[in-house]
Amino acid sequence: MIEVRDIHKKYRRRKVLDGVSFQIEKGEITCLIGTNGAGKSTIMKAIMGLTPFRKGEIIIDGQKLGKERYEKISFIPDHLTMPPAMKLDEAMVFMADFYRSWNEDRAKELMGFFQLEGKERIGNLSKGTAAKFNLLLGLALDTEYVLMDEPFSGIDMFSRALITEVFSSHLIEDRGVLITTHEIADVEHLIDQAVLLKNGSVIRNFNCELLRMEESKSIVDVMKEVYQA
Amino acid sequence: MKTNEGWTEVAFNGRDPVYLQVVKFFKEQLVIGKMEAGQIIPSRRELGALLKINPNTAQKAYKEMEEQQLIVTEGNSPSRITMDENVLRAIRAELIGEAVEAFVASVRKIDVPVEELLELVKHKYTEDKQLNGGKQGGGAQHD
Repeated sequence: MIEVRDIHKKYRRRKVLDGVSFQIEKGEITCLIGTNGAGKSTIMKAIMGLTPFRKGEIIIDGQKLGKERYEKISFIPDHLTMPPAMKLDEAMVFMADFYRSWNEDRAKELMGFFQLEGKERIGNLSKGTAAKFNLLLGLALDTEYVLMDEPFSGIDMFSRALITEVFSSHLIEDRGVLITTHEIADVEHLIDQAVLLKNGSVIRNFNCELLRMEESKSIVDVMKEVYQA
Repeated sequence: MKTNEGWTEVAFNGRDPVYLQVVKFFKEQLVIGKMEAGQIIPSRRELGALLKINPNTAQKAYKEMEEQQLIVTEGNSPSRITMDENVLRAIRAELIGEAVEAFVASVRKIDVPVEELLELVKHKYTEDKQLNGGKQGGGAQHD
């Protein structure tokens, strides 16, 4: 379990995160929901230790981790960070050199699943293809947790369907997953837990099936209550 | 497996628990004859992939179906649809009951005399059956 405990962060005088707490359970998909600028990406960066914060702590399986966390959690940012001149094959060699948890077989399986070509250069990939490769780089790491920042943004519907498929496959099973997305419709039936952010704090946090069961509400219904009120 | 075609078309609504919608889907498939008594059903992981749902949800749906005795799992063998006639009859009755209830609830607002209503239902029901029966696979369209 990853515990985000009371994280506070300011950019200049603006409070970006104002006491954010929630948990990411293993074997579950948790979705961070919030309008633009609500702090979703900042939370992911905080979990990864990529941005400092003023107060609070991140506890991973009961421990505060340093750089060991990179073998335990993989972070898939909202854009591909590999140099454009690299070929896909080269980028995978780079990953294999960098991470002990790199799983070559899974990478190959994903290359096939997403129909990617190893000889292609990263700079020549279309937006959708780049997004798939970006996902591949994160999912091919044998980590216990995966964080994905906006895996669906700017991607056509067929690629979206393919990416959605990943969520109901063995690639995700038993891992703890945190995603952020604007396109809730794509994942509405996939996620276990929703964490709604507003003004830098968690305003609602619920189990989606329980919400449907007890209140007969959809995630979108709750989003309307929270963000349009 | 012969039921595979139907799987991808399941459209879940956002307001009912997904696992219960999966249970409902199984019952419907059974009642319309797309699934058969005793048939082996996909594993939890396969079901997750087929219906594009979270494996946890698939697990929950199977647990619910086991509790309702709709599916049975013996030892290490894969789960199957029950052969129990009583359960199968009860499911059919349940689905018909629900459909009739929904129909009655919506038509009651109009306050139609019951004879007129029964006549209309009888006419519509037999007409649709003839249409569908006569044009099998022809993609018959209602105007």
